Amino acid sequence: MNLQNESWYQIALWFRQVSVMILKEFPQLVRDRAVFAYILYIFTLDIIIASGATLELKNAKVIINDGDRSHISRELIYRFRAPYFDVVDVDMHPDAALRSLDHGDATLFLDIPANFNETLQRGQEPAVIQMLVDTSIANLGYLAASYGTQISSELGAEWVGQHLSAAGASVGSLPQINNQRRIRFNPDINESWFSSISELLAVITVACIFLPSIAMVREKERGTFEQLMVSPLTPFQIMFSKIVAMMIVMLIGSALSLFVILEFLFDVPLRGSLPLFFALTALYAFATAGLGMLAATFARNSGQLGMLLMLIVFPIIMLSGLWVQPESMPIWLQQIINLTPLRYFIDIAYGILLRGAGIDVLWDSAVKMAGIGVILFTFALWRFQQQFK
Amino acid sequence: MNLQRILVVAQKEAREILRDRIYFALAFLLPVVLMLVFGYGMTQEVQNVPIAIIDHDRSALSRDYAHRFIDSRYFEFKGYVNSVKSAELLLLDGKVRAVIVLPEYFQERLVSGLPVDIQTLLDGTFTFRLRTIDGYIQAINGAANAETQARYLVRRAGLSSSRAQTLLQPLQVQTRYLYNQELREIWSVAPALIMFILTLTSPLLMALSVVREKETGTIYNIYSSTITRGEYLAGKLLPNVVVSFINGMVLILLTVFYFGAPLKGDVVFFLVAMFIYVIWATSLGLLISVIVKTQIAAILITVILAMVLVMQFSGMMIPVSSMSDTNNMIAHSMAPMHFNNIVTQTFLKGGGLISSWRDLVTLIGFMFGFLALGYLLFHKQSKS
Repeated sequence: MNLQNESWYQIALWFRQVSVMILKEFPQLVRDRAVFAYILYIFTLDIIIASGATLELKNAKVIINDGDRSHISRELIYRFRAPYFDVVDVDMHPDAALRSLDHGDATLFLDIPANFNETLQRGQEPAVIQMLVDTSIANLGYLAASYGTQISSELGAEWVGQHLSAAGASVGSLPQINNQRRIRFNPDINESWFSSISELLAVITVACIFLPSIAMVREKERGTFEQLMVSPLTPFQIMFSKIVAMMIVMLIGSALSLFVILEFLFDVPLRGSLPLFFALTALYAFATAGLGMLAATFARNSGQLGMLLMLIVFPIIMLSGLWVQPESMPIWLQQIINLTPLRYFIDIAYGILLRGAGIDVLWDSAVKMAGIGVILFTFALWRFQQQFK
Repeated sequence: MNLQRILVVAQKEAREILRDRIYFALAFLLPVVLMLVFGYGMTQEVQNVPIAIIDHDRSALSRDYAHRFIDSRYFEFKGYVNSVKSAELLLLDGKVRAVIVLPEYFQERLVSGLPVDIQTLLDGTFTFRLRTIDGYIQAINGAANAETQARYLVRRAGLSSSRAQTLLQPLQVQTRYLYNQELREIWSVAPALIMFILTLTSPLLMALSVVREKETGTIYNIYSSTITRGEYLAGKLLPNVVVSFINGMVLILLTVFYFGAPLKGDVVFFLVAMFIYVIWATSLGLLISVIVKTQIAAILITVILAMVLVMQFSGMMIPVSSMSDTNNMIAHSMAPMHFNNIVTQTFLKGGGLISSWRDLVTLIGFMFGFLALGYLLFHKQSKS
């Protein structure tokens, strides 16, 4: 009985110590105006800005030399329109057009020859249009070229439909494979759903790695680390309470952006279970905080820490699959990516928020994420303990 | 201005950079790592897309059609699935990104010249990826259609196959890609990254080196010494500009030799422009260091500023000509856009002084403007 009381006391003491450590972090954080302002910024304005940045072709300037001036050439020009294209000139000499492309004033130049309509009517040989595309921004150049080609082949197909019998091929209908698209989870291809969720996950990652490690290095910088070393707290308690405190901050920030920005501002349908999302986000905080803690054991001051963190955070965010799918990467890089917790958190977060998946589908990702997290955390704790010796 | 004093400060600064080994390593490592990471991370050729197929017809033609996807390097075939229900589960779990459903009578209808509807179920979560995947499917389907129809015309109307082609495609587009003929994404990304990374790291190094003195208190030695603020700032700027310029050269080498992007234009002109840009960026760091008190604040502000300037207003992601009027104006009143113009001109368009002198003059203006601003705002006494 006595023994049991004793162990209860120990446990209560443990929690008391940890909760005191956790609570002290909050006023400290609020008083650090730069870091506090940064947290507010990343969970609000940053996500709004990032979701405005689109990878889609928008408003690309088109210049045209309409040498034909027939109704069919005008019809073709008319189809180059918003939101992808913006025709600024339909009567531009090819030399001037090249200069304009050189200057970056236009993205696409269309050269319609004088006998365009005539060639089309005769039907002996194909009517050819020249299209010059500025591909100095490759992905946008590619999109401009493929949309341009699509526009003209649609026009061509309509022409075929109207003129096939006239051309002497009386076959009635032609075989045709029609592709009926069904887009799941985001049927209107709303880009801001994707970019706001991806940016939120990036921001969560930054917060999970940055906040606890800066809190730790601050203790070193100010010399309060020595106090911690002589306190009755174990290294695990110190690390654990820092991570829990910053995890709470991160969860509040996530809730703010999830409800105010994603749901209210961008109408992202939060389809899955939100308690599950927050629970797994908390798990992710633990899985990934070890990285920051590890960096904190190497850095002596916050300047060094900041640069070390950039070396860690930028690769994780850029390569783990928030913007680019890992399967397109070289195999060696994929294997490294498979070791980052974010790789699995992406599946989890998109699964819950957009696809409405439950734990029955996502458990394997959660297990992998937790496994990697335990390894990182243990390693960081080991490094951390070394400092006490 | 006493040259001797400037050199003393510069020497002290250089020694500080050399002695702090972590800092020294990071000052040169960070740009390289960022270059590699963003170089791989922003070149987004979508490949090996996991795909599943449901074939209700199981005929020769439907198998042929399926193989257009199975054999494509853009897709990675995960297997035939029996029902739409299990296909939907695969999509839900993120195991495949697209499912193609071929209906019954696929072959029968095509052979008798009738249209047939196939279905593609697509995972819409990653919209950019989705558009690309959809584009691949459209292209493969378009090619299949063209072949099927041409064969049909040859068989039914007895036309020659070239005549059938012309009939089916009366309108042809000849596309020429300018400046990046093979559409290599890395060709456009890597040179622009030089601009991006210098915009991030040069101010960072400068801001940190001033704020570190504030934080450790050694700056009070400067406040109380006879050195003038101009001498102190010049001595501070000099080594940081040198470090950033060396970083810039390393980035050029990586761009050309590691990523294989061309440097078509005038190299000397580019180095001059880069030198001016680095001085501008370093004075931006000086301005940041005037505002903030802690190193961490300096880092946070620099990162946010660089990201917004580059991603929104430099023309790296969005062409300046496609921006809204307001953004266009903002972009023009910021130095990164002008340097990005020079980068695109010299690397991809083969330009030099003749094509880019306006941007260079603007950059020089920015450089002097920011140097003057830094000089005016930096005071030799602490405000409290």
